[in-house]
Amino acid sequence: MPEQADQNGQLAHNSAPPGLSLRHVGKRFGSFEAISNLSLEVPEGEFAVFLGPSGCGKSTLLRMVAGLEAPNGGEIHLGGRRIDSLPPGDRGVAMVFQHYALYPHMTVRQNMEFGLRNIGTQATEIARRVADAAEMLEIGTLLERKPAQLSGGQRQRVAIGRAIVKEPRIFLFDEPLSNLDAALRARTRVELARLHQRMRATMVFVTHDQVEAMTMATRIVVMNRGRIEQVGTPIEVYRRPATRFVASFIGTPAMNFLPVARLEEQAGMAVAVLANGARVATAIPAAAVPAGEVTLGIRAEDLHPGSGMAATIEVIERLGERTLVHVRLTDGATLIYDEPGDAELEIGQPVALSPDGQAAHLFDADGRACAAEAR
Amino acid sequence: MSADTYRRGRSLGDRAILVAVVALTLVWIAPIVWVLGLSLKPNEVLMRTTGGLLSPPFTLKNYADIIASSSVFGWMMNSTIVAAGQTILTLVLASLAGYGFARTDFPGRGVLFVVVLAALAVPEQAIIVPLHTMFAFFEWHNTYGALIAPRLAFPFGVLLMTQYFRAISPEIEEAALLDSASRFKVFWRIVLPLSIPAQATLGIYTFLHAWNDYFWPLVSATKPEMYTLTIGLASMQTNFAQTEGIGFLMAQAVFAGLPVLILYLFFQRHIISAVSGGSAR
Repeated sequence: MPEQADQNGQLAHNSAPPGLSLRHVGKRFGSFEAISNLSLEVPEGEFAVFLGPSGCGKSTLLRMVAGLEAPNGGEIHLGGRRIDSLPPGDRGVAMVFQHYALYPHMTVRQNMEFGLRNIGTQATEIARRVADAAEMLEIGTLLERKPAQLSGGQRQRVAIGRAIVKEPRIFLFDEPLSNLDAALRARTRVELARLHQRMRATMVFVTHDQVEAMTMATRIVVMNRGRIEQVGTPIEVYRRPATRFVASFIGTPAMNFLPVARLEEQAGMAVAVLANGARVATAIPAAAVPAGEVTLGIRAEDLHPGSGMAATIEVIERLGERTLVHVRLTDGATLIYDEPGDAELEIGQPVALSPDGQAAHLFDADGRACAAEAR
Repeated sequence: MSADTYRRGRSLGDRAILVAVVALTLVWIAPIVWVLGLSLKPNEVLMRTTGGLLSPPFTLKNYADIIASSSVFGWMMNSTIVAAGQTILTLVLASLAGYGFARTDFPGRGVLFVVVLAALAVPEQAIIVPLHTMFAFFEWHNTYGALIAPRLAFPFGVLLMTQYFRAISPEIEEAALLDSASRFKVFWRIVLPLSIPAQATLGIYTFLHAWNDYFWPLVSATKPEMYTLTIGLASMQTNFAQTEGIGFLMAQAVFAGLPVLILYLFFQRHIISAVSGGSAR
C-alpha cells in the first residue's frame, strides 16, 4: 500500500530513527490557507522530495521547517526536539536557496565561514570543515573568489558547501536546480544523490520537476493545494498513485483517463466497460470500487497497438529512444501511447489499441484510487 | 532601411548630439573660466575693466591674500563640519528608516511611508518660519546643531534607501538568519555592505546639497563666525565697496569651489548615477 494521508493528515511510516516530524501544521496568509493540518514524518537519513505544482505549499512547508515562516498551528520536531518556536539559526537546519543566496561581497571562503563564526566555532575547526567541504565539492581553487566570479554551477556548489560546513541535522533544498541549464541540472542531480549516499544526512528537497523527484528521492511527498496527496517511493507513486492528481502529475506523458460507462465483475475483479464498448479487465477487486462515477487510468506504456479500441493518429512526438503517439478514439476521446524507438507511423493512420488491464487504475468520483491487488 | 543608411543616420545623430553637448558645455564653463581669470588679475586692473582676461598682467596675490587674512578658511571649516555632519547622520537615519520600511513589518507602515513621501512635496519656504521660531525658542541658532538638524529629515534619502533595500534579495538575509546572525548583524554585515552604491550616491548628493545650501544657514547663522561658505561669500558680495577688490572676491569663490571639484573628480561615477536617478551603474 502506498503511504497516504488520513483524515487527520497522519501518515503511516516506518520505525526509523526520528528525523523531521510535522504534526498538524497549518499556515494561512490572510484568508488563503497555504498549508492545511499537515502531518508528515521524514525518518533520519532519508532524501525526501516535496513535489507539487506551483502554489501547492511545498516551499512554504520547507520555510516553516527552516524557521523563515511561522506556522499558525501544529508542531515541528527535528531529531526528537521541538523546533517550531526556535529562531532559524538555532534549529540545526541548513538551506540551499533557489537563487543560491550567497553573500556577494564575501569570498567563497567567507561565505562558508560566516555561519560558523556566528556560533563561535574555533578557527581551527572552521578551517578543517571548510577544507573538507571544499575537497568534497571540488571547489578548493575557488575559495578566494567572490560569487560574481563564479558560474551558476560553481555557485550552486558553494551554496551546498556553505550548508555542509554547518553539519546540520537536516539539509533543506528549495528548488536549487531550477536556475541551471538542462545538462548541468542533470549532472547536479546525480551529484546530489551521490552526496546523500556519502553523507547519509536527512535531506528535504522541494521541486515541481518530477524528473528531479524520481531520480533523487528515497521518498516522494506529492502535494496539492496545501495537502499531502501521497507519500511513497518514486516507483510507488508512479505505479500505484493514490489519487488521480498524483496519477496525472507523475509521469511523462501524463496518465490517460477514460470515463467508465459501467462496471462488471469477473472472478472477483472489476471489469471496466468504456463508452466505446471496450472491456478492460483490471487487477482491482470489484469490492474495492465504490458505486458512482468511475474513471479508468492507463499509462502510455500500458497501451499496446494491435487489436482493440479503434483510433486515428493525430500527433507523433519522436523522442529518439521512443515515440509518443497521440490518437483520437472513435468516441472522440484522446489518448497517448508509447512506441519503442522511431516507429514508422503517419498522421491520420488508423490504429487499434489494447489496454493492459493488469496495469490499469480506477479512480472514484473524488479522485481517489481504488485499491489494486499487489502488482 | 539598409544597415549602411542606419549607421550613417545614427552617426549623424550622434554628431549632432556631440555638437549640442559641446556648445552647452562652453555655455556652462564660460562663467567659471571668467571667475578663474578674474581671480588671477590684479585688483587695480579690474577697477578699470573686467575684460582682457587672457592678456597679462596675471597675479596670485589674491590667493595669497586669502591664505594670509581671509575668513574663507573659517567658513570652509564650518561648511565642512555641517556638510560632513549632515552626510553622516543622513546616511545613518536614511539607512535605518529605509531598512525598516523595506524589511520589517509593523502596524501603520504603509501610512507612515506615504507620510514620508508626502514630505517630498512640502517646499522649504513653507516651513521656514515655524522652523526658525522653534530653533529661536530653544536658543539653538548659531550652532552647528542648528545648521545640521533640520536637513536630517530627508524624505528622498529614505525613499532611495528603501527602494535599494527592497531590491536586495530577501533570500540573502534569510541565509544569514539561518547562519545564526542576529537581525542587527544581518543589517550590519550583509545588507549595509551591499548597499554601498546607494550609500555613496546618497552621501555625495547630501554632501553637495549641504555644501551649497544657502537658505537655512542664512536664517540660522547670523554671527559671522558661524557663517558657512555660501553665506560668507554672499556677505562679501553684498558689501562690495568694502571688499579688497573683485579679484579677491573671485579668488574666494574659486577657493570655495575647490573641495566640491575634488569630490567630483574622485566620485564622478557615483555623482552621475545620483543625478541620473541611479540609472548609471
